[in-house]
Amino acid sequence: MSDLNKLYKQQVLEHNKNPRNYGEPDHWTHHAEGLNAICGDQVHVYLTIENGVIISAHFAGDSCAISMASASMMTELVTGKTTFETLHLFASFKQLMSAEGLPDADHVLGSVACLESVKKFPSRIKSALLCWYALNAAIYGQPTATTE
Amino acid sequence: MLREAFPCLHQQVNGKPLVYLDNAATAMRPQVVIDAVSDYYCHHNANIHRGVHCLSGRATDLYEQARGSLARLINAPSPDNLIFVRGCTEGVNLVAQTFVRERLQPGDEILISHLEHHSNIVPWQILCQQTGAKLKVIPMNDRGELVLDELDTLMNERTKFMSVIHVSNALGTINPVKELIAKAHAKDIPVMIDGAQATPHLKVDVQELDCDFYTVSGHKMYGPTGSGVLYGKATHLDAMPPYHGGGEMISKVTFEASTYNKVPAKFEAGTPNIAGGIGLGAAAEFMMDVGIDAIAAREDVLRNYTEQALTSVQGLRILGQAKHKSPVFSFLIDGIHPHDIGTIIDHYGVAIRTGHHCTMPIFQYFDVPGSCRASLAFYNTEQEVDILVESLNQAKAMFT
Repeated sequence: MSDLNKLYKQQVLEHNKNPRNYGEPDHWTHHAEGLNAICGDQVHVYLTIENGVIISAHFAGDSCAISMASASMMTELVTGKTTFETLHLFASFKQLMSAEGLPDADHVLGSVACLESVKKFPSRIKSALLCWYALNAAIYGQPTATTE
Repeated sequence: MLREAFPCLHQQVNGKPLVYLDNAATAMRPQVVIDAVSDYYCHHNANIHRGVHCLSGRATDLYEQARGSLARLINAPSPDNLIFVRGCTEGVNLVAQTFVRERLQPGDEILISHLEHHSNIVPWQILCQQTGAKLKVIPMNDRGELVLDELDTLMNERTKFMSVIHVSNALGTINPVKELIAKAHAKDIPVMIDGAQATPHLKVDVQELDCDFYTVSGHKMYGPTGSGVLYGKATHLDAMPPYHGGGEMISKVTFEASTYNKVPAKFEAGTPNIAGGIGLGAAAEFMMDVGIDAIAAREDVLRNYTEQALTSVQGLRILGQAKHKSPVFSFLIDGIHPHDIGTIIDHYGVAIRTGHHCTMPIFQYFDVPGSCRASLAFYNTEQEVDILVESLNQAKAMFT
């Protein structure tokens, strides 16, 4: 499989086409906007957090397929996790996207680990990371985040 | 074949022949420009205007000859009408701070257009904050053309300056700058034209246009990065205060006061980008040798071919369909984000730009975050346009 086909693998295209947890929910407790103005990626992350647990995670916005798929997979992964666990996942995902890499990524990040192929396209890493920085901002009560 | 003159075009990217369609971001440089820069460093390397030794004399001659070449390219009355700058951005900032600023009172107005690059918006916003002046904007229509119906209102007794882009970098629109200049001058409004995207494609005659200022970007017209010139009418340049203080721009310095050098040295403080200026002169000579009319005629053919080729792609929408256009195409494809298109067609060797192209207000008008932009130069070929179209179809296939 070419690097391009690994980047736009079936899971990514499928999540882009049918994003999970998409759209602003009626109720949420935490929100932040991730915006990469130069490339035009925008991701709003909406969380409902009760007793330190993310009861629901949604996202909305207009982004490239990498950003959309990453956000879609992220909302699936963090739903039901504590904020502490989520911050650990955020650190793990950043490590996955770094030169260092993440050992045992499938076990730690589940299907999100399939985004490792983005690393072959350095200009797109910021697209994959944007939703995670927005998630982190939402948890900490910050209104905005960017990865540019 | 002129294409052979550009060494960087001849390479493979991702295993495919490079198809370089990002000329509006920066053009390629012909070997004569690269040689001129290299020749200066290899054989004439010295500071200019200040040494008595042989190399300094040769370097000064080369630098001033380059100024002369640029003056001929845009038909300035004299090389002394040209100030070497880093590019159009510096040219606009220089005029804003040294010519326009002292003319402004709170409530006065500066007029720009909806098609401006951020470099012809932000310097004026800064100036408005400094002076209490207001920024006014000539609107545009769905075709990406300026709407001139309200010019009589937009140009009023409070309007102290107008600065308009000659050719839109985002949409390719060629603005009717001669008409705009004449209308502004009828109301005693001085005018600056941002020529970054014009000089690579069009014959520019600053005396025929009668503009007060005109900026030229070196790297958009096959010259080195970080090079450019600002043209100004002599009466303006003589009256303007310096922009930067430093060496070269003075005639005498004491601790009590300094007197300034004459134009253009007054605006060229410090050691300039000597190699860049010399390389830009070589680019101007190259363009005049090829012939600006020949370049424009070839690009007309390419523009028509590209427009028809892109129109054949189903679901593709071209933003900006002005009657007068340079070979720049902003486009969107249904269901695929521009960033994904850029990545996918790069895999086929095709280099385009994606995003807002430093013209966010244009994309706010069209209510999209950005676009794909294919921008051509005379050295591009019909075959390259075909490869662009094929790669776009591959991107579509991947997303369906």
